[in-house]
Amino acid sequence: MTSDVLAVCTWDASVDGASSEVEELLTLGRRVSDALGTELRWLVLGPWSPELAEVAATYGVTGIDRAQSPELETFRADVYVEALAQYCARCSPSALLFSQTFDVRLVAPRLAGRLGCGVVMNGLGLDVDADGRLRVIASAYGGDTRAVYVFGDRRPHIVAVMPGAVAPAPAASSGAGVDVRDVELDLTNVEERVRVVEPARAQGPRLEDAQIIVAGGRGLGSPANYELIEQLAEAVGGVAAASRPIVDDGWADPSRQIGLTGKIVRPALYIAAGVSGASQHMAGCSAAKTIVAINRDPDAAIFRYARYGVVGDCLEILPELIRAARTR
Amino acid sequence: MRIVVCAKEVLEPDAVNAYALAGRLVIGQDGKTLSQAAIPRLMNAYDEQAIEAALRIRDAGVDCTIAVVSAGPNPADVLKHAAALGADELVAVPFDTSQTDCSGIAALLAACIRRSGGGDLILCGRQASDDDQGVVPAILGELLDMPVITIARELSVRQSPDGPVVRVTRVTPNGDETVESALPAVVTISNELGQPRYPTAARTIAARRMQPAVVSLEELALDPKELQPKAALTQLFVPTVQGNCEFISGETPTETAERLLERLRADGLLE
Repeated sequence: MTSDVLAVCTWDASVDGASSEVEELLTLGRRVSDALGTELRWLVLGPWSPELAEVAATYGVTGIDRAQSPELETFRADVYVEALAQYCARCSPSALLFSQTFDVRLVAPRLAGRLGCGVVMNGLGLDVDADGRLRVIASAYGGDTRAVYVFGDRRPHIVAVMPGAVAPAPAASSGAGVDVRDVELDLTNVEERVRVVEPARAQGPRLEDAQIIVAGGRGLGSPANYELIEQLAEAVGGVAAASRPIVDDGWADPSRQIGLTGKIVRPALYIAAGVSGASQHMAGCSAAKTIVAINRDPDAAIFRYARYGVVGDCLEILPELIRAARTR
Repeated sequence: MRIVVCAKEVLEPDAVNAYALAGRLVIGQDGKTLSQAAIPRLMNAYDEQAIEAALRIRDAGVDCTIAVVSAGPNPADVLKHAAALGADELVAVPFDTSQTDCSGIAALLAACIRRSGGGDLILCGRQASDDDQGVVPAILGELLDMPVITIARELSVRQSPDGPVVRVTRVTPNGDETVESALPAVVTISNELGQPRYPTAARTIAARRMQPAVVSLEELALDPKELQPKAALTQLFVPTVQGNCEFISGETPTETAERLLERLRADGLLE
């Protein structure tokens, strides 16, 4: 008799070994599959690297399902949705977990629509309730509220988990070797309906990888003052970021936006100047190890998340911080 | 061409957050309904921007009708606002949406769009500001067998020898990406589209006379299984945030800045 399978799915994880999102996802997958008493498999779509098998062993994955059709070489939504649908038809996982990336936000719900099953995004926690049903705690109302969802009978249960939701933890016993199995998918006839005319071109260092981030908000007062954020970022060896209100007003580029509708980051140090700490912003940076807040309003929400706070006008403090950081 | 915009009524998110932060958010007996009468209800802001996107396509000279569809316990107010913004047609599906989930809503919208004249371009807000799930447009695309293009900041429609084509600029984590697809298609609109227009006084008055076409659940002839929640909301709660902020100050901004940097260096966070 075959046992139930819980599958975690990733792609693009092989570029430089496993990224921390993948390790988080495997950690969560291990916990949930233990609670459900299922096997834990890792579906890797597209490019493969042998290091993934080592990562899998560390995190207690039973086996890897590898799909390497040439059609999966780069991400294309129609092909990926079809690949996942074929995988689910073949392997019937009870649940399928993703780490929530920009592309997963599109692919996970489309897969649910295709298979007629349930899907929950913005997952922050996953467990099994007293009746043995999979339960997801998800962020709602921009991050200040949590919504709890319980899956019904229809399978697979599809969940996307926010980066930074759990701390990666290797499995207690790394067990026997991980079996790597090739999954044959027929994707030759999938027509990609959306054509890329002009690809996105990443500018500057990635916020997702930054160890130090300096973010600015409305408290900067005017668009020209965003320069102070860029100068401080440069002086401390970090990357400049922005809150949604100033991106909406055109003070900073959308690719700099931190938050639920922007980027989810987890640097070691996050300096927020003139940012009020709206939940939608904090959803993007609350995983930072240390948050420093500079705000004129001593009651600003940001101070509830901050390790260090300065109550004051960021236009007075920032130039001094830039000077002090540069003189080192 | 027929543009269909899906619009949802939500509780004003800033008011919800203000109550949540103050520890005064009231959650009903069922543990999952926010029942504070003081919190205003309005159209989800991203959906308002989806209507704006449709209006810009019309302004650009594309011959189109703009239909706005809303399903919910009381879709009338949202549709009145849609009319004031410039919608040509209003479709209401009165339904207690708490009885279903996102998959059920998508099934309902798909059936409604099919029965009320179809759609060449379906526009939705990128997500609703209450549950933040953002899954309905993608499921809708699957059910209608249309491609789905998410997180648009700009879009335009043009005729090609093979039929109408939509060109969309998407806000991706790596910057803007431009894509094209033949219609029909589903496109979700993000806040980067910019401020939606305000309803004019004349339109607001005219909107009062516009009556939505009311489509009942029975008319949609949905299989009850389609409305059964597959991932049911069971609880809402406000998480506690434990503040442990250490405030740093000095006689002058210079001193404050130096003290702060000293701490960050002592913690090994800065060199």
